[in-house]
Amino acid sequence: MNVNLILATTAVPLLAALAIWLLPGATGTADRRARWIALAGSVLALLLAVAATVRHDRLVALHDGDFSAVYGQGLRWLAADDSSGIDIRFSLGLDGLSLWLFDLTALLMITAVLVSWEAIRDRAAAFYALLMLLESGLFGVFMARDIVLFYIFFEFTLIPLFFLIGIWGHEKRQYAAVKFFLYTFAGSVLTFLGLLALVVWNYFHAGNGVLTFSIPDLQAGLAAQPVDMKVPLLNVDLGLLIFLALFAGFAIKVPLFPLHTWLPLAHVEAPTAGSVVLAGVLLKIGTYGFLRFSLPMLPEASAQCMPWILGLSVAGIVYGALVALAQGDIKRLIAYSSVSHLGFCMIGLFAFNRAAVEGGTLQMINHGLSTGGLFALVGMLYERYHTREIRQLGGLATRTPWLAAMMVVFALSSLGLPGLNGFAGEFLLLLGMFQRAWTAAPPEWEMLFKTLAILSVFGVVLGAWYLLWMVRRVFFGPLVEPEQHGQTIRDLSLREIAALAPLVVVMFWIGLFPNFFLARIAPQSDPIADRVAEVIERRLPQAEVSTATATRSLDTRIAIIRSAGQTVLGESQDVFLLENEARRDH
Amino acid sequence: MFKIETLMVLIPGLPLLSAIITAALGKWLLRSRSHWPAVLAVGGACLLSVLLLFQVRREAAALHEAGDAQAAAHAVGYEKTYTVWTWAVVSRALPARATFGQQASETSHSADPPGTTVPEDSSTSADARSLEIGITLRADPLTAVMLVTVTLISLLVVIYSIGYMHDDVGYWRFFTYVSLFVFSMTMLVSASNFALLYVFWEAVGLCSYLLIGFWFTRPAAAAAGMKAFLVNRVGDFGFALGLFLLWTTYGTLNFHDTAAAPGILGQTLLADPSQYAGGWVATAICLLLLLGACGKSAQFPLHVWLPDAMEGPTPVSALIHAATMVTAGVYMVTRCTPLYLVSADAQQVVLLVGMITALLAAAIALTQTDLKRVLAYSTISQLGYMFIGLGVGTLPGIVAGMFHLFTHAFFKALLFLGAGSVMHAMGGVIDMRRFGGLRRRMPVTHWTFLIGALALAAVAPFAGFWSKDAIVAAISQRVQDDHHGASVALYQWVFWGSLFTAGLTAFYTFRAFFLTFYGEEQIPEEAGHHAHESPPVMTWPLIVLAAASVFVGWCFQRGQRFDHFLMQTPSLAFSSAQATLPAGEHGGHGNVAVVSTLVALIGIGLAAYLYLGDRWEVAWIARRLRWLYTISYRRFFIDPIYMALFVWPLRGLAAFSYWLDRQCIDRLVDWVGRVPLAIGASVRALQSGLLPFYAMAMVFGLLVLIGILVR
Repeated sequence: MNVNLILATTAVPLLAALAIWLLPGATGTADRRARWIALAGSVLALLLAVAATVRHDRLVALHDGDFSAVYGQGLRWLAADDSSGIDIRFSLGLDGLSLWLFDLTALLMITAVLVSWEAIRDRAAAFYALLMLLESGLFGVFMARDIVLFYIFFEFTLIPLFFLIGIWGHEKRQYAAVKFFLYTFAGSVLTFLGLLALVVWNYFHAGNGVLTFSIPDLQAGLAAQPVDMKVPLLNVDLGLLIFLALFAGFAIKVPLFPLHTWLPLAHVEAPTAGSVVLAGVLLKIGTYGFLRFSLPMLPEASAQCMPWILGLSVAGIVYGALVALAQGDIKRLIAYSSVSHLGFCMIGLFAFNRAAVEGGTLQMINHGLSTGGLFALVGMLYERYHTREIRQLGGLATRTPWLAAMMVVFALSSLGLPGLNGFAGEFLLLLGMFQRAWTAAPPEWEMLFKTLAILSVFGVVLGAWYLLWMVRRVFFGPLVEPEQHGQTIRDLSLREIAALAPLVVVMFWIGLFPNFFLARIAPQSDPIADRVAEVIERRLPQAEVSTATATRSLDTRIAIIRSAGQTVLGESQDVFLLENEARRDH
Repeated sequence: MFKIETLMVLIPGLPLLSAIITAALGKWLLRSRSHWPAVLAVGGACLLSVLLLFQVRREAAALHEAGDAQAAAHAVGYEKTYTVWTWAVVSRALPARATFGQQASETSHSADPPGTTVPEDSSTSADARSLEIGITLRADPLTAVMLVTVTLISLLVVIYSIGYMHDDVGYWRFFTYVSLFVFSMTMLVSASNFALLYVFWEAVGLCSYLLIGFWFTRPAAAAAGMKAFLVNRVGDFGFALGLFLLWTTYGTLNFHDTAAAPGILGQTLLADPSQYAGGWVATAICLLLLLGACGKSAQFPLHVWLPDAMEGPTPVSALIHAATMVTAGVYMVTRCTPLYLVSADAQQVVLLVGMITALLAAAIALTQTDLKRVLAYSTISQLGYMFIGLGVGTLPGIVAGMFHLFTHAFFKALLFLGAGSVMHAMGGVIDMRRFGGLRRRMPVTHWTFLIGALALAAVAPFAGFWSKDAIVAAISQRVQDDHHGASVALYQWVFWGSLFTAGLTAFYTFRAFFLTFYGEEQIPEEAGHHAHESPPVMTWPLIVLAAASVFVGWCFQRGQRFDHFLMQTPSLAFSSAQATLPAGEHGGHGNVAVVSTLVALIGIGLAAYLYLGDRWEVAWIARRLRWLYTISYRRFFIDPIYMALFVWPLRGLAAFSYWLDRQCIDRLVDWVGRVPLAIGASVRALQSGLLPFYAMAMVFGLLVLIGILVR
């Protein structure tokens, strides 16, 4: 079983944190030792994660996609006797949705450690200990196969990050940390209620007397779609209500427009490592939550909310890009670009067809790599010049050619240049969105969907604009530098290159061979997409789905006759006759 | 000797290898030897391309002879594909309902009597379509012609660059980028899939961005690179939408047939062109693809980036922004001929875009004082010509457009390299007002530039004459065929317009020529001791290109070799396209040739009259026609108009959005955050800590409870 290996992967950073904390030493030596322990811990975690991935791959193939065979049932946690019926397990495992996020976490954490190497001098031991704790927490989120376990890790990640921002951040760090914590926490409390409601709802419908918290069981149980019921007083569907509760936490995490305002603040104030992990992995918990819970367990409500979420996502794409264009601070520019890019991920998930969901899932990884890298680069720039103002910088490509080259590569990846990773995800999800709008849109939403599809493709143009503008202003043109206080500016050191190079390698890997990654996502993402797509089709009033072809005319004619018949005749039988006539005519 | 598949992989592979080697070793090891990998790789690619061309020709001919009975019935044209690896697969991505098979049967239903459904339809519409994007290369006559053109020009430009770039600090960087470009461009023309085409469409855009901004410390160069990328992105926006529409319409993105689905430009559809979707879908697809082509090929309204792109090193201008990359749009439209043939509207838009661009750019080129910009506008104008050819909508027109692409590559590269040679000698000065009379100092450049100018002006035996004449003849043929058609007036206007443009072309070309090489000798001080003929490594490519500019026209036009070869491309060989061939052999061809030569000579004569003497008439005309002159000199004010229409409003919207973000959305969040505080504050007074107050509240509460209970 692979579970031991992923457990070890998670334990390594935890042990590293403990080691940093507990090993005695004077402040100075302990701080210097801490970063080496953190580096060793994160490298070891990556190696284990890679080993786990390889093994996962082999075992899944061996067991023909049966994940419980690969990862077992987990340990029972609560009420060990079988009669109680409450089933909470310490159950871990990976699947196509979480596998690459798991690896991404391991990869980015090395970058996070390396970019903090020189930048963090104050209380460094505590810093690295928190960073390692965060890594463990993130691993936990992605491998939890039990709702309670998931939620524990989900909330746990907030705490180290709260301290990382609040203690090691920039000027307004405390305000930013509190806002980040309260905002995301407020949402996730509702999410917890939603998750519990899912469990209870499943309990009533499963009828086997087991209150299961197991995510795979819940998914199987709820995908069978229990009969929906109206919530008294509010008069809304229970499924919809649960969906909205989950939405509260996940959408804030993503963040979906207009719930994004904590993000630029947190990013700008966070230390570089915090930004890297926040953008790279933490935001993905939101999209991952949608993908893991909302879509598979509440397909009806997902279908119902689709137009709204797509609308907000596209608003976020365009709005985030526009606001990014107005920024004078590089870090804030990249923070807003995250809002825009996560909008792409969300339309991928909520276009509900295979290409889009696969693309959206891949895009989560892509955004983590490219934006994580961009934040790391901004940190390196800041270390050199102590400013992030675009106005104060210019022509740095002559001073720091490697830094400039790296920035160009990451910017190109972020704006979706083919051959790099961003394109692979964006292409699939935009294609999927387009397909949804043109071939399978509910008639009343058809125009909206088409507009959204076109706007989201246009968002790609805007994305190129702000990134290239930033690159041009900061790196090209005549040299402009803020006054240096007797300090020479050096190009990237070996350590900094080591922080970025692995990301670049993976970026090219995804860009050139996306099928390697997609093939492992698809087995889990395709059924989710299919399921919701099926629901959408079922929800349509008539069997009318826009097809942009001649087939449509018959359906529209029937629809017209039907509506006319209802108003004029008021009797279904006559309408039926007329319909038949129309069919014959055709 | 080589299998055709090996050639297909090696041709882009060699430049890629060179790019990697130069990037890795250039700075440390190769330094001033950095050109060697590029020269060897591009030279090798060029040789292999020629081999490929002959191989394709032989196999295509063999196909024609051997299987007249069965092969001809099955094969439309000649093609061969090879998949290197599969980039992405999404199984059953498009549900059955929406695939094209059904659509095609719907459209064919309306045309044919019921019951004659094509057998494929039932099978294709039953299954969901998988999205399969492979790194698939193809070989067919069109690709072979493009490959030879691209690699040959690249080879000459690379050799020339050895001299031109010799003491540049970024020597290795230059050859890395150029190798990368050659790789991307050869892949672009070899791609057998719309997604892959799009990939390399953007990749050549990236190379263009990097090379325009090669001297990135110059603000103008950095800005021009960004502008080129962004304008191209706008075009690519259209391309991407067109591609998605192709996907939802046909359920595949491949050109060729695969086991899973018949390709969009594959044998199955070409064998029965009635299966192509018609109506607004066809028009929309074509127009969206055209938007992409307009971006890459600098057609109005997306032409604004190309003149600015002249900030890049001159060899780059010659290679990318004149001979090869900018013709990608022409290549794509030619490749998509089956799609355009379905939509007459889209074809007329192509025609109009080409005509407007050709005329507009020629009018601007009349008054520019920067030699490279004159050539840039002339490139735009000539590309417009190619689009006119494509928009005529008949096979001779399309082939003529491609032929013009082929000849133009030689003489325009020649002119740019000549301009580069001048610029090299003048110490980087390219403003024609600051130098003149260089013919004695730079004899080779002078003579080769003259040949290039004659070819561009389309004077009789030179290359440009044959191809431009073929385009004009195609239009005139169309006018004759369509003489009672609804849009005959359009073709009539385009015919006269293209003749007029030919006159303008001859005029501005020779204006630039006379300004540079004739008149009083004048040399700017920047030139220093450089003001002499360029070294042989630069002049030899000029001589080779000059020779080509003399011969490629009649060599390939003779017996219509080029046409016959190209027409074996599947996209051009299928029945609908062949049906547009004129029934009789070209009738009014001779007359057209005479007229267009006459027009060119008039233009040259006028330029000679105005610029060979003491040029007082020029100033006089400019003064008398002040406003016309200003409009032309200021390039029709298109750049400021775009700034006012798009850039500033978007910038304003951006600033407004940011204001909204801080002042409204974030404020709102903070307000919501204060609600609990406010509630707390309002009830805080109750927690006064005074026991009598609590006791009173208890009693009061009890009373209320009792009151409720007893009621």
